[in-house]
Amino acid sequence: MFTLSKKGPKAIAVTIVAALGMTGAISLGVASSASAAQTLNIGISADMDKLDPHTSTNFATVRILGLVYSELVESTTDLKIVPGLAKSWYWNADSTQLKMYIRPGVKFHDGTPFTAVDAKASLERIQNPANGAASRGNLGLVTSITASGSQLTINFSASNAPFLAALDGVNMAMLSKKDIDAGLIGKKVNGTGPYKFTSWSPGTSVKLATNTSYFKTAPSVAGLNFQIIPAESSILSALNAGTIDFSYIGNPAIAKQVTSSLVMQKVPSLSYHVLQLNARKAPFDNVNVRLAIACAIDRQAVVDSAALGEGSPTGPFTMPAYRSSLSARPCATGNVTQAKKYLALAGYPNGLSIDVMTEGGEYALATPIALSVQSQLAKAGIKMNIQALDAATYIPKWLAGDFGAAVANNGGKVDPDTMYTRYFTSTGNLNKVAGYSSATLDALFLKGKSTGSATRRSAVYASITKELETQAVWVWLFAPYDYYVSSKSLSGFTPNPNGSLLELRNVKLS
Amino acid sequence: MANVRKRITTKLLTVASTLFGISIFVFVVLRVVPGDTISSSFGIETSALSPEKIASLKQYFGIDKPLIMQYVTWLKGFVTGNFGLSYHTGVPVTSLTLHSFPVTLELAILATIFGVIVGTLLGIYSASQPGGRRDFVGQIFGLLALAIPSFVLSTAIIAVFANRLHYFPNGFEYSPPWVNLWMNLQQMMFPAVVLGIAVAAPVMRTARSSFIDIQDRDFIRTAIGKGVSPRRVRYVHVLRNSLNPIITMTGIQFGYLLGGAVIVEQIFALPGMGRQILDGITKREYATVQSTVLIVAITFVLINLLTDYIYQKVDPRIQ
Repeated sequence: MFTLSKKGPKAIAVTIVAALGMTGAISLGVASSASAAQTLNIGISADMDKLDPHTSTNFATVRILGLVYSELVESTTDLKIVPGLAKSWYWNADSTQLKMYIRPGVKFHDGTPFTAVDAKASLERIQNPANGAASRGNLGLVTSITASGSQLTINFSASNAPFLAALDGVNMAMLSKKDIDAGLIGKKVNGTGPYKFTSWSPGTSVKLATNTSYFKTAPSVAGLNFQIIPAESSILSALNAGTIDFSYIGNPAIAKQVTSSLVMQKVPSLSYHVLQLNARKAPFDNVNVRLAIACAIDRQAVVDSAALGEGSPTGPFTMPAYRSSLSARPCATGNVTQAKKYLALAGYPNGLSIDVMTEGGEYALATPIALSVQSQLAKAGIKMNIQALDAATYIPKWLAGDFGAAVANNGGKVDPDTMYTRYFTSTGNLNKVAGYSSATLDALFLKGKSTGSATRRSAVYASITKELETQAVWVWLFAPYDYYVSSKSLSGFTPNPNGSLLELRNVKLS
Repeated sequence: MANVRKRITTKLLTVASTLFGISIFVFVVLRVVPGDTISSSFGIETSALSPEKIASLKQYFGIDKPLIMQYVTWLKGFVTGNFGLSYHTGVPVTSLTLHSFPVTLELAILATIFGVIVGTLLGIYSASQPGGRRDFVGQIFGLLALAIPSFVLSTAIIAVFANRLHYFPNGFEYSPPWVNLWMNLQQMMFPAVVLGIAVAAPVMRTARSSFIDIQDRDFIRTAIGKGVSPRRVRYVHVLRNSLNPIITMTGIQFGYLLGGAVIVEQIFALPGMGRQILDGITKREYATVQSTVLIVAITFVLINLLTDYIYQKVDPRIQ
């Protein structure tokens, strides 16, 4: 047998280490010299999915296109509705007609002026069922739209007080009539927002340039470069290394790792985590089974275990103005004894077994929440089987109401009417998903829509909350936080609870 | 000559039937799982779509026809270089693949080079002292490299370089080599090392076994007895005769890297084929997944053919 000389292994090791070390050492210099640009580099974990602002429901698309398109109104960071492309508006006495006055001098990114005619064409595009617009339901009561000069008049078949809030969001974006008529929506990106669309390399990046003709104060940065970094842990590493300047993070476990060398802003989200129960399927058609499940779950314990304490238990409405008192709900803090009583009343004195579907992939908290709920239900004698599905499998089943129970992370809205009418009214387009409707809820939602007074509206939605929780229609678990992390060289960003990144129009890079 | 022609024909038929089987398998599996391009595209708003709109979308996405028609249409297109359209991005799959394939190919080549060099050298090192200290060191490396998942190693590397040394080139937008070669090499360095270590382990084990086997053969003892230098014995006589199993293992590992680098591509933000397939599955983009998987399969087959060719070059006894 031959043997290696003494020099052999050392030479091998030295060669490998030297090669790696040399590459790394030289690389350090190159990498650090590349971060001097005035463009704001943003890390995002998911890519856009389309360019049509009216039909997209993807978070990344909505956030990015929200910087390119504008709407007639905007919601501020404290969720107040303020003028956007409409500079002012007036309601008639019974809230059945809204007159809006279009801001003069606004131009689309291609240089053509924005007029009331474009606003009319945009709303009619959303209204047309053939276009599959995500917010078509917001225009359900609209009977006619007319444009005359700078005036846009919208007529409703009944009082529609929440309509202004329904005009906010990129799904209600104002488009160019010329582009609509030419069938260019989804192919050409032509908005009036603070940034112009430059390019999209699927899976790699989205680039926006500053719109110097923006109708409010034009951004001070040269543009935005959204880089797709699928793993949130890698996004945090890129922030630490200084290769990106800004990002938003959804996973509290990652947010907990943010150090003092970065700036993190944490805001309560309007979205919520919920255990949806389908009251049209056994055994959830029995109200006592639903109440048993609601009573067996300690929401704060779910927050503490699944979200590492990052979140707050919530009722149906997550916006501050309509949040309900949690102590009024059945078994406010979890009550296993009461849960067992409800089970006995339902005819399951020895417990029962239920299937709960969860969505994997980008919904990072789905499995931790399901496991936390599973362990709590077990104490009450309820065996929970978790069915983990990928998003593309979960969503069709969810849409079809083809489930008994599901863990879900549903988006919130600024107004309670636009948030839940589509779920809990018998004609709502997502009522199949909600799995529950009643004449009481139908009447209450109608009353909420036609009530202009804030105090009276609060009372109406308090009644809706009571109905939803005493019937244990769903088990609302908690509202999470959104985390916006940036380098210390970035200033001027104020997060909006609705998840919009519009305030990136005000950022400065030092 | 007739024998050679028969062998080539058999080989080509095997390759064609393998690819045909893969294409059918992927096509069927994608349609068996719930969901389609429409529900993936419109999300929770799918229920708001009218039946007429759904019918027109099905026509647009090409999923209104019978399955057999859909398959034949796609296969015809694929054969003629039209891989279909990614409906979400509006970009042809051919164009997406032209961007993603070089990324994965480059990553696989760099990882393989790293893995083969490290694995072979460690194999030689281990085999030089079977059962001894060197062998122990080599075996421990092999075990660790096989046992540590790539995402753990990736995370550890990122934790040290990005969080401690503030160096993370993958946080910059991906740069193809023809745009910025130096940045590209930096962005490839960590993922290539992570995948290369995974390749090095089986190569090391194969090289070690092969070396131990060859170095005890009579012709090696004869060479040593004739006074040939140990270096020449090691790198000419033993290494050359140990190459075939190493080539086999390298070919297999290279094939796996083409389709199996999804996690590393995700962590290091490389827009390669793995991510293209994953995105395609998530969005139920049938043409994207079918075409990309078939391209990976074709490349795998080509690598195998190349491996066969290299065998013959390395060892002329194999015909």
